[in-house]
Amino acid sequence: MFAGALAAQVPKPEQAEFFEKNVRPVLAQKCQMCHNAKVKTSALDMSTAAAFMAGGGSGSLVNVESPDQSLLLQVTTYEGKLKMPPMGKLKDHEIAALREWISMGAPWPGYDPKAGVVATGGTGTRKHGNKLTEEDKQFWAFQPVKKQPLPPVKNKAWVQAPVDAFLLAKLEEKGVPPAPPADRATLLRRATFDLTGLPPTEQEMKEFAADRSPDAFGKVVERLLASPRYGEKWGRHWLDIARYADSTGNDEDHRYPYAYKYRDYVIKAFNDDLPYHQFVKEQVAGDLLPARDGKPGLNREGIIATGFLALGAKAIAQQDKQKMLYDIYDEQVDTVTKTFLGLTLSCARCHDHKFDPLYTKDYYGMVGIFASTKNFKDDQSHVSKLLFTPLVPKEQYERYEAAEALVQHKQIDLEIAMEKERRRLHEKLAPQIPVYMMAAREVELKKADVAAVAAARQLDAKMLGRWVKYFAAREVPRPWLAEWDKAADDAAAQPIANGFVSSSLDSLAAWHKKLEAYRKPQRRQIEEKNMLSEKPKLINEKDRFFGQVFDNNGPMGISDAQLNAEASLAAQQEFAAIKAEQKRLKDALPPEPEMACAVQDGHPVQQKVFVRGDYNSLGEDAPKHFPVVMAGGRQPQNVQGSGRLELAEWLASPENPLAARVMVNRIWQGHFGEGIVRTPDNFGRMGERPTHPELLDYLATQFIGSGWSVKSMHRKLMLSSAYQMASATTPGQFEADPENKLFSRAVRRRLQVEEMRDALLGIAGKLDLTMGGTMQSGFGTDGENSNGRLSINPEEQVRRTVYLPLRRANLPALFNLFDFGDATTPQGRRIITNVAPQALFMMNSKFVAEQAQTLAAALVKEIPAGRSRADKAISRILNREASAADADAMLSYVDSFQKKFAGKMTEADAWQSACRVLFASNEFMYVD
Amino acid sequence: MQKPTYDPIREVYSRRVKPLSRRAAFRAAAGGLGYLGFLSMMAEGAPAVGGAVNPLAPRKPHFAPRAKKVIFLFMHGGPSSIDTFDFKERLVRDHGKPLPIKRPLAFADEAPGPLMKSPWEFRPGGKSGILVSDLFPHVRDCVDQLCVVRSLVGEGVDHGAALLQSFTGSSTFVRPSMGAWSVYGLGTENQDLPGYITIKPTLSHGGAKNFGSAFLPGAYQGTPIGHSGMKVEEIKSEPIQYLVNKGLTPEQQRYELDMIQNINRRHADMRQFDPNMEARIQAFELAFRMQTQAPEIFAVDKESEATKKLYGLDDPRTADFGWQCLLARRLSEKNVRFVQATHSYKWDQHSDLFNKHTSNAYEVDKPIAGLLKDLKARGMMDDTLVIWAGEFGRTPISEGGNGRDHNPYGYTIWMAGAGVKPGFVYGATDEIGYHAAEDRMHIHDFHATVLHILGLDHEKLTYRYSGRDFRLTDVAGVVHKKILS
Repeated sequence: MFAGALAAQVPKPEQAEFFEKNVRPVLAQKCQMCHNAKVKTSALDMSTAAAFMAGGGSGSLVNVESPDQSLLLQVTTYEGKLKMPPMGKLKDHEIAALREWISMGAPWPGYDPKAGVVATGGTGTRKHGNKLTEEDKQFWAFQPVKKQPLPPVKNKAWVQAPVDAFLLAKLEEKGVPPAPPADRATLLRRATFDLTGLPPTEQEMKEFAADRSPDAFGKVVERLLASPRYGEKWGRHWLDIARYADSTGNDEDHRYPYAYKYRDYVIKAFNDDLPYHQFVKEQVAGDLLPARDGKPGLNREGIIATGFLALGAKAIAQQDKQKMLYDIYDEQVDTVTKTFLGLTLSCARCHDHKFDPLYTKDYYGMVGIFASTKNFKDDQSHVSKLLFTPLVPKEQYERYEAAEALVQHKQIDLEIAMEKERRRLHEKLAPQIPVYMMAAREVELKKADVAAVAAARQLDAKMLGRWVKYFAAREVPRPWLAEWDKAADDAAAQPIANGFVSSSLDSLAAWHKKLEAYRKPQRRQIEEKNMLSEKPKLINEKDRFFGQVFDNNGPMGISDAQLNAEASLAAQQEFAAIKAEQKRLKDALPPEPEMACAVQDGHPVQQKVFVRGDYNSLGEDAPKHFPVVMAGGRQPQNVQGSGRLELAEWLASPENPLAARVMVNRIWQGHFGEGIVRTPDNFGRMGERPTHPELLDYLATQFIGSGWSVKSMHRKLMLSSAYQMASATTPGQFEADPENKLFSRAVRRRLQVEEMRDALLGIAGKLDLTMGGTMQSGFGTDGENSNGRLSINPEEQVRRTVYLPLRRANLPALFNLFDFGDATTPQGRRIITNVAPQALFMMNSKFVAEQAQTLAAALVKEIPAGRSRADKAISRILNREASAADADAMLSYVDSFQKKFAGKMTEADAWQSACRVLFASNEFMYVD
Repeated sequence: MQKPTYDPIREVYSRRVKPLSRRAAFRAAAGGLGYLGFLSMMAEGAPAVGGAVNPLAPRKPHFAPRAKKVIFLFMHGGPSSIDTFDFKERLVRDHGKPLPIKRPLAFADEAPGPLMKSPWEFRPGGKSGILVSDLFPHVRDCVDQLCVVRSLVGEGVDHGAALLQSFTGSSTFVRPSMGAWSVYGLGTENQDLPGYITIKPTLSHGGAKNFGSAFLPGAYQGTPIGHSGMKVEEIKSEPIQYLVNKGLTPEQQRYELDMIQNINRRHADMRQFDPNMEARIQAFELAFRMQTQAPEIFAVDKESEATKKLYGLDDPRTADFGWQCLLARRLSEKNVRFVQATHSYKWDQHSDLFNKHTSNAYEVDKPIAGLLKDLKARGMMDDTLVIWAGEFGRTPISEGGNGRDHNPYGYTIWMAGAGVKPGFVYGATDEIGYHAAEDRMHIHDFHATVLHILGLDHEKLTYRYSGRDFRLTDVAGVVHKKILS
């Protein structure tokens, strides 16, 4: 070996990428299971750069000056005596990648040959491997929340609330004046949509217009916060973040039949102003917390709250069950960290986070918590079975289960009795195999009529027909009939047919032995509340002839109906007695206990790091812990259960700087269009920096100080000059603050799909304000091409949009059209697009036409023709007083529309068109 | 439309507002960023004025494209490769013998059955002599147009995972679909139609997630035409949702729209520097054009009798998929970027392989051949890539005596038209047709190759979401240049 053989290079970025993409996976998957720090086969450890460069018992692995001389290539090309990996040669492109990498000088990210500094698992994107640097620790998001004094400002008159001072200080610094106040109608419309997702009513408009007291707007805010509609609007925002839907999505799209309870819990939490830290804790570990009222026993709300963890998208038909489970834990880590911390920890599943000081070990430290938490009743069944949690005391649920077990026992009694009788009938049938086979042979060879042959031989024509069909299906292989098919004449065929009698009787006996073995543990399985083992299938019996012939659909099969008809009198009496007893037990069942889609603590898992995310490559231990950059050494010790309780406490503690910051930012965004941090789910390096960091900390401090009251935060934000500004801007102001990063004006925003739909229904007077409950029925899923797979069509309903159940795989078309998102990952902010099909909805949909028609009919009926009718339409739809010009235009339009299409358009038709015009207007669709 | 003699609306709102200039709109929207960069920023939360730029405007590819548009014929359920386009002599020889290798992860619960030869004869087709089974006699006649890839590899052994991976690259997470990525990268040439249309898409196995835009803006999602549970007759009356106004004549509607636009212009005039206002005005104009022109495109019935016959519209068994294929051609002809036709969940033959595959193939064979012939005759093969694929193939061993289980470890798809070698076979499975053995093409590779044919570099077509740059091909994908023409 040359001396230079060890001189690996410090990688350039593209080389690091090449290594990560093409080399590291090969080493990890094909080499490191035998050559790692623990198992150093041939004294070789290939798991870290330093160990790799040091080589093993056979010397150095790479020779960068003569790559082809490298030991690594000699063994992997299978050219020499030593062939590695032993279980199979690497793919050509994998070997080529190794060669190319060695030619580059074997650059291994994080490894500096001169300094000898090695960062295991580092990707080269962050500079310092897995050592927390000062820079990491100094990153703004991880700093403790600091109390902030109000900054001094010149225009003190503008400061109505502390938030104004923070904004104004910056505005004054940049010399940008804040926008003037919005007019009262605009402000009322804005506040009403912002807090309730609905437009103001005419009565509310009148009252606010008439109230000239200084706290008039304050009264409006209080009224809106007290309205149950508030929880529906802000609950929906939270459901976006919690990626809420009513089914599993992905593959089978099984219903979450009790998901709505979590939704109703969220709505109620906002309406009750549940302290946010409590809200956080309940969603992560409510089942482990005492009830809010301190009463002992079941924490009903707490259990329901963990729907937050339980209701994610799941691929439950995946056959690699280990992968399925870890995908689900990943989804939970992702949701928890984005929602409560604004961090993207799941980026660290396969490698340390590329940009943030979050490590693979941190990731698996949290995965261990969810791996110790149950999501399934049975995760190993073909399609994994979802877990439902009773919402009644244990004893009550157990009583129900015990009563239900009795019904199950009877079911098994019945099945066993039927199996016994079926066996008796089969034993009677088996000796007739040869007659039927020979008859079927005659039918086929002589192309004879089945009925005629059956009659001549005194056979059952239907059964003979099945035999004929069975023999005719030659396209599938069936070696057991090869002899039969080859038989030259009846004389040759007859003994073959005869032979099947004894073999079938033997197989029948063996089959029933198998059934008995299958039945044996079932009583115990019922008592132990385990899933019953799966029933063996006759068709899969080793004796294929027997399996196919005696299967219920086979030539000598006996269907259940047939069995009931042909059973002996004694057997029939036995069936009836069991059924009667079963019915009696069923009728005596106590009412079904209330259930929830929730998680439960499972078996505690000692999680290890999965190298490159592969569960077959176990790395170091990853004890349950929270990201080191935030929690430092203050980590949970001696975790007993899953660790969820500890996680919940940590997430919601005032010492966690991100819990409060992330939430106040979400509330701010709900009123100002954009957050102070404009990436509400990402406070990391790749997210945006806060435009007003002091303000963010001020609000976070206030939030914690108020006992984490969300409603109090709304008040602090809305009763400010900042919130009450107009959205209009001047050229000068626009130039100075084009993206409104100074919040120098209000943001004009489009109605969300829920607001649009609810407002249309509300304006037409059709909105049903019933709260809670579910509109979804049934369990499991539906046929692959069935309409049952669709979400309920929101255009045919009148409940508020938040209450419509969502089949995750097929969200309503209307939702997809108006940027609802996909309900699979936390969404703190919807992406709004502006496309033609949305206009088609306004112009052509039956839904908009119906609302316009209903409103028009009411206008024509109730309001006299003329100015007052136009006024009414405009104030109802646009929530402001109509100017004379507006009203005239509306009246002229209706008039000319009727005249132009005289004879075809009634007055009501013309008003319907006018209402649709207003519904389609930008003024309706946007909130100023 | 006749100009009204007296029009009070125009009297009142005669002052038309000049739209925000392109330059001003762009500055307002993006602060000078490139369009794609701008959209990425929208996701990360940058300017609120987002959406003002037309997200569907045509955009330049990364390099010269070989094809401009795609027609994807999807056979839902998993057609058996070894019974269609991948003849395995060893299965004839070892028919009934036990599987000679360790069975990889299976979907079926039961113990492996014996090797099962194809019940269909294979015959060479065309000049290339590529073997095609008797399931596809009409496609066999066109085999010289096909580039048959016999070495596809995926990871999903269940339908859900396999569909999601086939369409989005990920078998477990919800990601944007290939069609959505294509339109995101290239925009669409015909503003009167959506850029990505999927005919009778599946409701199951991920449903709409298979043609969704996930975290990409909603404008890139596939527009469905009906769904797999619907009959063509039900779809015809309103192929795209909201396309038809059932109350007004076009003239009346134009009058109504003029009023909308005038109100919106006056409203926009009082709200300068908000490109959303103008964008929405344009969206209404576009919508009107779309609804005027689209019905013509969906009028499949207006095709000549000869053409209808070519696609099998005269036979009730082939009429459904024939209609889909013919509509696909009409859409592609109008430069819809990505069109998909789905033969609904029928191909999943865990049992009764012979009868069900026979009827399934019958339903699609003639329509597909008709499409290939028609595209060729119209010269459309020069810029259109046709793809035929299921979500996986089926096992060489029998299941339950007369069926086959799922096999994602080595299966066949084919492509035809622009960008790929005609009459060409690429890759191979092992002797029994279980695993891809030569020139393995992972689904990521397949995606990379299709994007390449469209002029897009799969490593550069990224979208920043949640602090990460996402791609269709995740962190993998190799363009298989050997199949390129």
